[in-house]
Amino acid sequence: MFISGFGYILGETFKGLYRNRWMCITSTGVVAVTLLMLGLFMLVNLNVSHITETVKEQVEIVVYIDEDADQATLNQLRDKLGSHDQVSEVDYVSSDEHMSRLQRQLGGMLEGYDTNLENPLLASYEIRTVVPEAVVSLAEEFEEYPGVSAVFYGQGYVEDLFALTNVVQVIGLGLMAGLSITAVFLISHTIKLTVMMRKREITIMKYVGATNWFIRWPFILEGLLMGFVGSIVPIAILYYVYEAVIEWAVMSEFVFVSLLPLEMVIIELAIYLVPLGTALGILGSTFSMGRFLRV
Amino acid sequence: MVEAKNLCMKYDKGKHNAIENISFSIGRAEFVFFVGSSGAGKSTILRLIIREVKPNDGSLKVFGRDVARLPRHRLPYLRRNIGMVFQDFRLMEERSVYDNVAFAMVVIGSSRKEIRRRVPHVLSLVGLKDKAKSKIMDLSGGEQQRVGLARAIANRPAMIIADEPTGNLDQGTALDIMNLLRSINLRGTTVLVATHNREIVERFKKRVLYLDNGKLVGDEQKGIYTNVH
Repeated sequence: MFISGFGYILGETFKGLYRNRWMCITSTGVVAVTLLMLGLFMLVNLNVSHITETVKEQVEIVVYIDEDADQATLNQLRDKLGSHDQVSEVDYVSSDEHMSRLQRQLGGMLEGYDTNLENPLLASYEIRTVVPEAVVSLAEEFEEYPGVSAVFYGQGYVEDLFALTNVVQVIGLGLMAGLSITAVFLISHTIKLTVMMRKREITIMKYVGATNWFIRWPFILEGLLMGFVGSIVPIAILYYVYEAVIEWAVMSEFVFVSLLPLEMVIIELAIYLVPLGTALGILGSTFSMGRFLRV
Repeated sequence: MVEAKNLCMKYDKGKHNAIENISFSIGRAEFVFFVGSSGAGKSTILRLIIREVKPNDGSLKVFGRDVARLPRHRLPYLRRNIGMVFQDFRLMEERSVYDNVAFAMVVIGSSRKEIRRRVPHVLSLVGLKDKAKSKIMDLSGGEQQRVGLARAIANRPAMIIADEPTGNLDQGTALDIMNLLRSINLRGTTVLVATHNREIVERFKKRVLYLDNGKLVGDEQKGIYTNVH
């Protein structure tokens, strides 16, 4: 009986989808369009936070070494910086290296500069921090270390950058939450409408003595299929759209914009959208049926 | 089969009495008409029997079980023993005659073989053997009600409940349907019919329970509609 019951349920699911094909296509379409909008926004949001993270990672602290410090103090300073748990990377830049960097930057304007003269530039340590946001407090800490002449981290600019990226991320998350809620409402209401159209069928099933689960299963499976297809379609569309965007970015030599890799982004989208669409399909069907089952 | 004792049912949160202190008993293979004007309580009694609604007071036993105490998950099994026929037929219009009848059997888990054997048989009983493949929407009102009857008897229920089964039909067709119900009754099935079709009640001369304003005002064997109205 179970096998024939299961066969019936599967058969009814597909028959139900076929009989109500226009309503099902409409519902699936609504799911797809809503999730496409949500997915598109997620795509932009993921890349915006990726770009801001990349920019943030470029923030570093430059600790200039006091030229009068003795060797013991310098060794101590190097060890202290190197073993600090908030520091991920320490590079020593000698005063000669600073000079050659300056010469490169100025494009030969210093050519003819007498190398025998004393180099006025200070040697430094360039420090990357584990958490970019920690630069301000760390810079203040490093200033107190013996053997440090000055600390530079782009004072003023860095604070603005962090404030801006925070705002961008908060707005992004807010909009995404709003869109998700809209998606939940739109999808569950559309599915509800599909079930309401079949109120008569459900009532008849009740009168001829069908158990609630016997009635529910085909609807749940239909909801699941509509939600699943409705979430796969936007992912496929976004795959091709994003692929085109990446190609365009490469062709236009936007080297400063580093986009997230295609596969990674699509997998990330699928992880959110497929369960969301499928769950909404199932829940939409189950809840809208509830009242008809209470006959 | 059905035993009601001091049965009371109120609508609108107790403001309106649908039926009031009704007692009656219906035995196996009886044919009973419930008659009375609209709102007299005929349909309410039928709805109580299939436990679509619960009584507020009194007891109602169907097949020896108190339906008010029946747990919700047992309801489908109660209804499998009762064939329902409605004034508006309640068929799945986009499906075929065969599918509508087979559906009632699929729901209770009958085998395919059993369904293939039984459906043509019940369709021939109601005179629709040749219309098995027709869609419900292509049938006349009378034919649709025959499908409703075929569906009601498909699972060999012990009782048929018909709520105004002829309400949407002309007199000739109505008589056909009632004759079918009578032949079903003659095979041993209890038949309860709610109606206000005077001519039919008078012609069939079966037991009549008269309802007026929620009260049972008469219970007569071979009753005549005009006894009350």
